[in-house]
Amino acid sequence: MMVTPSPAANPLRFDAVTLAAEIEKRFGSAVSSSEDGGAGALFIVVRSSALTSLCRFLFSEAGCSFGGLIVEERDEWNLRYVFLNPSSGWVHCVLRLPLGTRTVPSISVPVNAADWYEREAEDLFGLMFEEHPRLGDFVLHDQVWQEGITPMRKAFDARQTHFEKRPQEDWRPMLVVQDPGAFAMPVGPVYEGGIGESVHFLLETVGEDVIRAVPRLFYNYRGVEKIAEGKSVLDVLLLAERFSAKSAFAHSLAYCQAVEKAVQLEVPRRANRLRVALCELERLRHHAGVIEGICQSTALGVSEAHSAIVEEQLLRASGRFAGHRYLFGLNTPGGLRRDFDNEASRDLLRAVDDVSAQLERLEERLRYSSSFLDRLEDVGVVSNGSARHLNLLGPVGRASGLRRDLRRVCPYSGYEQYRFDVPCEEEGDGYARLRVLFSEARQSAGLIHQAMESMEPGEVGAQAGETTAGAALGWVEAPIGASGHWVRLDRGGRVERYRILSPSFRNWMGLHLAAEDFAFQDFPIILATFGLSATECDR
Amino acid sequence: MSFWFWHGLRKGIQSTRYPWAPERATGITPGRPLDTKFSSSEESSRAAANCPVGAIAADGARTVVDLRACIWCQRCRFGAPNPLQWDASYEWSGMSPARSEHPILPGAFTRSLHVIVVDAGDCGACLNEVKQLNNPLYNMHRLGIFLTATPRTADVLLVVGPVSENMRGPLVKTYEAMPEPKRVLAAGTCAITGGVFGRSFMSAGGVGSVLPVDLEIPGDPPPPLAILHALLIIAGRKDPLRHASLVSEES
Amino acid sequence: MGALTGGALLLFFVLCAVALVLSTMLRAMYAAFVIAWFGTLCSILLMLAAVARLAGGQDFHLDLWTLNGWGSLSLQVDALSAVFLFAAGLVYLSCCFFAPDYLLHYFRNRYPAGRYAVLHFALMASVALILTAGDALTFLLSWECMSILCYLLVNYEQKQQHDSVAGYIMLAMSEAGFLAVVIAFLIAGGGASGLSFVALRAASAHLSGAAVWGVFLLGFLGFGVKAGLVPVNFWLPRCYTASPPAFIPVLAGVTLNLGFYGILRLNGDLVPGQGIGPGLIALVVGSITALVGILYATTENDLKTMLAHSSIENAGIIVAGFGAFLVFRNSGNAVPAAIALTAGLYHVVNHSVYKALLYEGASHIEAATGTRDMDRLGGLIRFLPALSVVFLVGCLAISAVPPFNGFVSEWLTLQTFLRSALLPSALVKIVFALSGAILALTAALAVTCFVKTYAMSFLGIRRGSWKLNAAGLARRSRFSLTLLAVACVLLGILPTYIIPALDRAVEPLAGASATAALVQPFFTATVSNQQLPTAFLKDFHNLGAQTGAGVLPGRGLVVLLRGSEQNPVVFAMSPSYSFAALAILLLVVWLLVRALTRQRALARGGVWAGGIPRLLPEMTYTATGFSNPVRVVFQAIFRPNIVEDTRQTVAVHFRTAIRRRRDETYLVERVFLRPVGAATSSVARLLAGMHHGRLNAYVGYVVGFLIVILFLYRLT
Repeated sequence: MMVTPSPAANPLRFDAVTLAAEIEKRFGSAVSSSEDGGAGALFIVVRSSALTSLCRFLFSEAGCSFGGLIVEERDEWNLRYVFLNPSSGWVHCVLRLPLGTRTVPSISVPVNAADWYEREAEDLFGLMFEEHPRLGDFVLHDQVWQEGITPMRKAFDARQTHFEKRPQEDWRPMLVVQDPGAFAMPVGPVYEGGIGESVHFLLETVGEDVIRAVPRLFYNYRGVEKIAEGKSVLDVLLLAERFSAKSAFAHSLAYCQAVEKAVQLEVPRRANRLRVALCELERLRHHAGVIEGICQSTALGVSEAHSAIVEEQLLRASGRFAGHRYLFGLNTPGGLRRDFDNEASRDLLRAVDDVSAQLERLEERLRYSSSFLDRLEDVGVVSNGSARHLNLLGPVGRASGLRRDLRRVCPYSGYEQYRFDVPCEEEGDGYARLRVLFSEARQSAGLIHQAMESMEPGEVGAQAGETTAGAALGWVEAPIGASGHWVRLDRGGRVERYRILSPSFRNWMGLHLAAEDFAFQDFPIILATFGLSATECDR
Repeated sequence: MSFWFWHGLRKGIQSTRYPWAPERATGITPGRPLDTKFSSSEESSRAAANCPVGAIAADGARTVVDLRACIWCQRCRFGAPNPLQWDASYEWSGMSPARSEHPILPGAFTRSLHVIVVDAGDCGACLNEVKQLNNPLYNMHRLGIFLTATPRTADVLLVVGPVSENMRGPLVKTYEAMPEPKRVLAAGTCAITGGVFGRSFMSAGGVGSVLPVDLEIPGDPPPPLAILHALLIIAGRKDPLRHASLVSEES
Repeated sequence: MGALTGGALLLFFVLCAVALVLSTMLRAMYAAFVIAWFGTLCSILLMLAAVARLAGGQDFHLDLWTLNGWGSLSLQVDALSAVFLFAAGLVYLSCCFFAPDYLLHYFRNRYPAGRYAVLHFALMASVALILTAGDALTFLLSWECMSILCYLLVNYEQKQQHDSVAGYIMLAMSEAGFLAVVIAFLIAGGGASGLSFVALRAASAHLSGAAVWGVFLLGFLGFGVKAGLVPVNFWLPRCYTASPPAFIPVLAGVTLNLGFYGILRLNGDLVPGQGIGPGLIALVVGSITALVGILYATTENDLKTMLAHSSIENAGIIVAGFGAFLVFRNSGNAVPAAIALTAGLYHVVNHSVYKALLYEGASHIEAATGTRDMDRLGGLIRFLPALSVVFLVGCLAISAVPPFNGFVSEWLTLQTFLRSALLPSALVKIVFALSGAILALTAALAVTCFVKTYAMSFLGIRRGSWKLNAAGLARRSRFSLTLLAVACVLLGILPTYIIPALDRAVEPLAGASATAALVQPFFTATVSNQQLPTAFLKDFHNLGAQTGAGVLPGRGLVVLLRGSEQNPVVFAMSPSYSFAALAILLLVVWLLVRALTRQRALARGGVWAGGIPRLLPEMTYTATGFSNPVRVVFQAIFRPNIVEDTRQTVAVHFRTAIRRRRDETYLVERVFLRPVGAATSSVARLLAGMHHGRLNAYVGYVVGFLIVILFLYRLT
């Protein structure tokens, strides 16, 4: 049995320079590092022998959190392990392997958060990660797809639609609980509630308590990363908006920032202000939707109606302001596609103020509803240690005491100029997550005011220069959590590789921590407090 | 303890008067691009070439929009050298080209329609718009439309998303589990033609490739009132558009 | 009419003897036929004897031999014996159709099938002797025979991997109980002229209070062993589970009743006593037994063990009814006493019938699938349709659902508890109220238990990997199960004919007529003959209580207790009319549905399970899951000792196996047997210090003992 070292409670703090020095000292010849002076990111090229220990050092001792794994098939395999150093910024560890390599060392034992990334890479690229506890049947469901199909490889043609599928007729789920009376309650993919995203759960139980909750995702997998390859930058922008439309603006912003970094495009200040305002508007609306989901799951009808009204009012405000209720078609590399006049801004601010007042009142009333709180308090608890093990993101992570927000650690779009708090709670239960949602909504309203009121006249879009090749990581604090978009452009200005590190992907990994050892009846509520999106995870 | 009953009463009736009166609030719909007359055919060709999915065709000096392919990217509306005209409508559902007669359900369903919603690879926006139909501002319950959790008691199958391969099986199973009479509604451009995802190894390119579709609701996403309009068509309280490709007239 | 009873009884004994001899003489493969034919005849004779006595006959008395110094052995059939004889006969009748298949199977597997037949008839004879004994000696001798024969029958299947210790435990407990019963009879016969029941009854009036208590406690606990009451019933679940399938209906339907018979005979008839203490003790013990029994039954997954615990529950209900009877009688309320005793006796008969039915059904399930574990069964309704109908009748009957028999007796039992308002003492009323609450909880849990049993065994999809032995039910066995099912229905819808029959036994013991109290003469009462008050008659005539007046025999079809002026109807019910109404309603609905849906086509499809390709058996509810809430709520009683929960981890975030094992000991063993056993062991260890093997010390013991005796002799 291998032991995962827990991340140190008080990790050592390194900035980029000292971190590079420390790594040099420890790993010597196996690594070579360089800094990207502009963005403060650290690039390390590592050999496969030192990969696991380097990642363990970064995760457990240096206090870095794991951002994701980016696999690229170029003239050699590029495996890019992205870490986030809270004091200095991104750390990219790149492992280069010849194309014929079939096995890669796995880092999922020292870095638990890497578990699903390696499973995804195995399913889509066919890379075997040694010593990974469980590979297979992840993105491509074994019931539908036969073994050996690796769609993300260059040789696979995304346009083909008719090919051999030999599904397993006698597929059985892998059940963990070995009790003679244990059974697995199936939920989904077309399931209760009437409006749910397609997720399948197998809740293993012996009667009352859920002993193991395993979500089976990727029912919504549309191969976005594959069909983006070879398309123009503006066409992939359409995909970036539409793979998870409830955070469309945030994801399109991350994509645009990646492209802007790759081609060295400067964004005008007015555009940054508007981007911040629209990002926070989307966050406000998204959180109102999650609050509505929580109220609906606890069957407190009036509060569900009130929060639903708030969400619809924000959708209408977005529609009036931007012409589209979900803010499609606004971002473009270099800024925004259109400008907004003062009347529209004032109307938006009025709507935001009205909504903020309604949310204040709702929060107050919910605080005094003891039957509602009974369903949330001490239910679905994710301890700080477990959250740290898996690096949970967004409001879920902050409710368990992980105070991490990309807007503070690596500010983008001028966020360093604004005054706002990052709300954080300690208990990690459903009520803590609800409180974090309300607090973040308040902060978002304040940020919209600050952005609108400090608006300067000017351009909103920069003209793109000549197309150049380049690769960069763009990031954003999406409503569900931190999200990174990696874009590599070829010389013709077309997208060669588009990789999305989505926050839902990480938080779904952590759902089982909250759902296990609680009763069946609590499961929908715990699910609602996580506010997850299956389609954002599946892409 | 909060007195929820009182708070609810004080909020008052928020529901729209649709379908008895058109809804005039702003922001309820993104509107749709209309056929626009330009001054010359070069301008209309330039306007047509601006569309990333080829939904605009130039017919002389006029542009004709195929709503079934439009993804509402608004590039023909803002920031375009030759912008198209847009209206603020929401009643644009039409029959699927494969269908030739009105997909209405028998009279018993007029005030009691049960809908099952299946997410077959949807981006989340269409599903969210369907969810908005439950909120007090639209409130489809007052029209006798309900959501069910099981297809055994459903009359209408509302599919959103381009039908990802992993969801093809469950979607077909859902359809087969519904008793007659039943109708299939494809909500959103992804569900009609596949949207930006199109046909690929993982996307069937619309519900029509998998199931027989009766009514199509263009939109990315279609606003709640458009979906409500489509459900009222099925219930026989509104008429569908007859044109297969939903050519929109200049209003 | 005493002659008919006596004649049937004697013929029965003769036939038993003949069958016994035939079984030893004939070849083993004919044993099945002997049991089938002779057994049927014997059972019918038993029932005939009982019905003859209950239908208005007189007691039958016969003196057998006289033993020097002990008194005469005699037979006596009075009404109480007749009730139990009837129940025994009915169960034996169904067994005689049920057992032969198993005997053929034994013969093929080279068991001594003839031996089984011998034991079978010997047991039948000794059971009849116990029930018709006229004096203590016959009673005790036949009781001992019965214990030993039961042990031999329980341990019959030696070749299989059965729990042979179960039989030993049963024998040991039977002997302990027998010892207690012997002492009780000796105390009772202390001042009597002989050991015949007549003499004992006469002498009981002169017994001192302490003697009466002694007789009660020893007799109650001694017979309680056989009846399955709480401190002494830990042998029952194991033993019932380990018994061969051919024998177990007899064990559950006949020998269990012997315990009740003993309690009634000794403590209700021979030594009635004056105080209400014994009755209260019986009431409390009965209630607790019922609750413990049903709790374990609800959480048990093995069919046979579950039914054993359910027998314990029913025994508790019966004994609680007897306790109420004793309390009411000794405090002077004869009518409630009669109702309580009627309820108890009715439940005895009902329980024999439906328990035998369920056990036979369970044996069939085991023979067909090879497993008794409810977690592994499921979907049997498709494979065994006939059995599923009959088993459903049994489950409904035991859950006290009208119009089946369990409803009548449980309803009457609960109603008598409500009559505790007539008792003077507040403490007694509280005890009655608590017992009533416990019995109500028991009834609710019984429904849960049997819903789980039926649903998990017959409905749903098959969860285990067994293959069906395509035998199905043989015609003989089908008849035996159907007979019992029909008996369940008849006993349930004709209570107003059963109660007068039981009243023959109840009236002498309680001092009031249950028929007069419960079965109002709606058929014969008119305004003129004033058998019932005019207003009362009018009200009930409007409700249809006189339907069937000229056509059906008897007094009426409504069970009703009349009260005072302010409260004319204390309680009332009519399963007969309800059944008729239900049948008509179902018929009407069925005709309507057929008429309205003639045009509709029926489409069939697979199970809807959320869109997954196939609903696998491991995705359906198990019996453990169904009863888990009960297990969790009553955790303090179950006290699972060890819960092993190993989460094998490959890495901290990934587990391969979570194993859970629950080790529990039966509550009665934990609370009563273990401490007693531990105390006995420690005393024995102490005394073992004496046995150290040194010869000199042993000589010293002998010398010391001699000196003590001389000393005592000197003193007296």
